[in-house]
Amino acid sequence: MRRSLLFVLMLLVLAIPALVAQDLTVPLKNGSVKFAVIGDTGTGDKHQLAVAKQLTATRAKFPFEFVIMVGDNIYGGNAAKDYDKKFALPYKPLLDANVKFYAALGNHDDPSERFYKPFNMNGERYYTFKPADGVRFFALDSTYMDEKQLKWLDEQLAMSGSEWKIAFFHHPPYSSGETHGSDETLRTQLEPRFVKAGVNVVLTGHEHFYERIKPQKGIAYFITGSSAKLREGNISPTELTAKGFDAGYTFMIVEIVGDDMYYQVLTDSAKTVDSGTVHRVGKVEPTPNRTSQPVVATGGSDKKAPAKPVK
Amino acid sequence: MNVIRLLVIVGGACALSIAPTAAQTAASKPPKPNISTATKAKAAEENANPDAIVLADFQKRIDAYMAVHKDAAKDAPPLKETKNPAEIKATQDALGAKIRAARANAKQGDIVTPEIQNKFRRLMYPVVTSPAPQGTAGKELKKDVKEGLKENTEERKEEGGKPVVLKVNATYPNDTPLPTTPPQVLMNLPKLPEQLEYRIIGKNLIIRDVEGNIIVDFVPNAIQ
Repeated sequence: MRRSLLFVLMLLVLAIPALVAQDLTVPLKNGSVKFAVIGDTGTGDKHQLAVAKQLTATRAKFPFEFVIMVGDNIYGGNAAKDYDKKFALPYKPLLDANVKFYAALGNHDDPSERFYKPFNMNGERYYTFKPADGVRFFALDSTYMDEKQLKWLDEQLAMSGSEWKIAFFHHPPYSSGETHGSDETLRTQLEPRFVKAGVNVVLTGHEHFYERIKPQKGIAYFITGSSAKLREGNISPTELTAKGFDAGYTFMIVEIVGDDMYYQVLTDSAKTVDSGTVHRVGKVEPTPNRTSQPVVATGGSDKKAPAKPVK
Repeated sequence: MNVIRLLVIVGGACALSIAPTAAQTAASKPPKPNISTATKAKAAEENANPDAIVLADFQKRIDAYMAVHKDAAKDAPPLKETKNPAEIKATQDALGAKIRAARANAKQGDIVTPEIQNKFRRLMYPVVTSPAPQGTAGKELKKDVKEGLKENTEERKEEGGKPVVLKVNATYPNDTPLPTTPPQVLMNLPKLPEQLEYRIIGKNLIIRDVEGNIIVDFVPNAIQ
């Protein structure tokens, strides 16, 4: 009897990693760059807490080293207690585990948030960082996209060589959202620069849902603005939509292995709503007269969207 | 007789269909320019557009404010990265107090004079209020701007906090949501130094000193 019980227990112990592995579609390679993406988080309510809890649980299986925040980090009041309620407490287990957060400013954020050390903005509205060789991130302030910032971006992109280039900011240049939709002004300002410099991926929020846009001019665009706020049924699928999810709270995990970026989008109840790969075709160097990059292929279970004019 | 009756009916129907359009047009009239005699004279003398003179005057006033800000910042602790958000707030308050003391007599309209206020209303009108034809980019843009402004009201209801007192030199209450100002609106307004920002409170536009967390000046009824 005891032997049988021991056998069952052993089987269970052996089976747990297999079950965990089944949850994840990312490859979990040693030495890869692993991170998470959350957006529109700073409410301090039960939905933020639920996503934060799931994010923490996911890290037990997928040991990401940092988290990208795509803006609206502190909604509403921004007294000292709000920083605790809307950031430090929900993500305490991750902060205690030395997971770094890198924030971009959203339209609801006070620019003085850039001095809050746990946001790792170095006191700047826009900044760049390199978490590992071959990968560089560019955090932008899309609310105030002025000439000074664009000049800075041009310089930084030109210096970034053949690294993976991932830009993150709040307002989405492409979106199928009923509420906001694509920010065309921002797109006009940024897209030519991104194409010229060979930016591979753009991460945004603002819309309170998840959407993966079909690659535009060789760039993969993701919207992850439902990590605490949700606009149910707000996606009106267009020709842009590769995958949309507006029925639950989500976050994204990402793993970069060589020229492949694997992504998986999970709900607060650990349901996978999207997954796939962004493949970087060759080492993309900034080229002065480039009009488009080599094609970036994205995988995943693409939702068939009814043809509707692109905004 | 029947023909007359038919004409009356058709005429009445036409009048009814025109009435809402006329009402809409009346409601969406852009603010009229209100430029002072002095500015008009200066514009004539310099062979310049009066609006350009108004905006140059605004820039001059902002520069003068920034001189006060920078002077006050010399004696105040600098904003630096900290794990403790209370320190950020304390630093803002310290600078805010110094700026307040340095411009103790400042009043509404010192920076946004009546003619600058009028110019701002005219700059905001096409982005926020004026009707745009259905199916155009302008229509979508306006929808987005209006949604942004609606969010402000909703957030205010959810979060509560103290009401914002529209008063020059007043501290912006920390427990009150900072309302969003849609980027499309910002694009249409004169650029501010990075220490300052625009925020929309109801129908009013404030200029807020981000580093000192005080209201520098404001445009009442900026949205018309």
